[in-house]
Amino acid sequence: MSERFKYVEDREMFSAARVKALEALLIEKGIISSEAVDKVIGYFETDMGPFNGAKVVARAWVDPEYKARLLKDTPAAVAEMNFPRGMTGVEGEEMKAVENTSDVHNLIVCTLCSCYPWPLLGLPPYWFKDPSFRARSVREPRAVLKEFGLELDDSVEVRVWDSSAQIRYFVLPERPAGTEGFTEEQLAALLTPEAMQGAAKVKVG
Amino acid sequence: MITKFEHFAASSLMGGSETLPRSNGDLLFKKLWEDRAMGLAITLSKKGHYEWESFRQELITSIAEWEASHCKDDPSWDYYERWLLALERIVIDSSIISSEEWDSKTKELLNEKCL
Repeated sequence: MSERFKYVEDREMFSAARVKALEALLIEKGIISSEAVDKVIGYFETDMGPFNGAKVVARAWVDPEYKARLLKDTPAAVAEMNFPRGMTGVEGEEMKAVENTSDVHNLIVCTLCSCYPWPLLGLPPYWFKDPSFRARSVREPRAVLKEFGLELDDSVEVRVWDSSAQIRYFVLPERPAGTEGFTEEQLAALLTPEAMQGAAKVKVG
Repeated sequence: MITKFEHFAASSLMGGSETLPRSNGDLLFKKLWEDRAMGLAITLSKKGHYEWESFRQELITSIAEWEASHCKDDPSWDYYERWLLALERIVIDSSIISSEEWDSKTKELLNEKCL
């Protein structure tokens, strides 16, 4: 930080002013538009749109029999949900739900960008298609999960699943504590694409 | 494969000390100015004012400088302060704006207390 500002006591206020000054100058000079930064930030907070996978998971959390069917024959259990045509993925493709428990954490990676079941899971997050993400997830999944802000106990086994054109995986996350009275709809609202790829846990609130 | 610049920028930081801080999968911003600083760095590179790799190197340097003069568990560690330092350097070096006008605008905003 510049020497001449060393007397500014509140570093936070200074940093905030510094950033605001930069953005204001860039806009004044016509270097960026006033919406440019909002757009970039918005990209990271994109609403993933219809997120049917969340409904599948919520159903499995409230209905143990449905859950058993989902783990045994995922495509048939997904078909039971009667999603609009085309909203569950390509017809006839094989899908497999893998269950997170207190002992096992599953992480999904993807060899080809085409094998992402986006109608079910929402648009893939930006990091999912990254080749280095995939390579490192296979090699050092715990380190990658830690970068996502998810630290797992050493006792938890981490399984990495490589989605392919033949079989596409998604994670059935653990139902979070404190959701006993929740409706299916409330439960579905807790799900994120990250949770269904195993890069996050489901949190309440 | 079509990759959004934003996706490329964030992914290229993973795997080292320059990784963007996250909490349970989501990017973690503790203060209001942090996401603006993140967005500004990416926006300027996206518009071609500097290579993303050049920014990444500035970020690695600014983090290394802090690490060389602090204990690893020093609680004053602040990722986005290092980010802001890297951004200041690359913006000035790339002659996008001058340090004088940036300083004077900063003073102006601090005096107006309109933050």
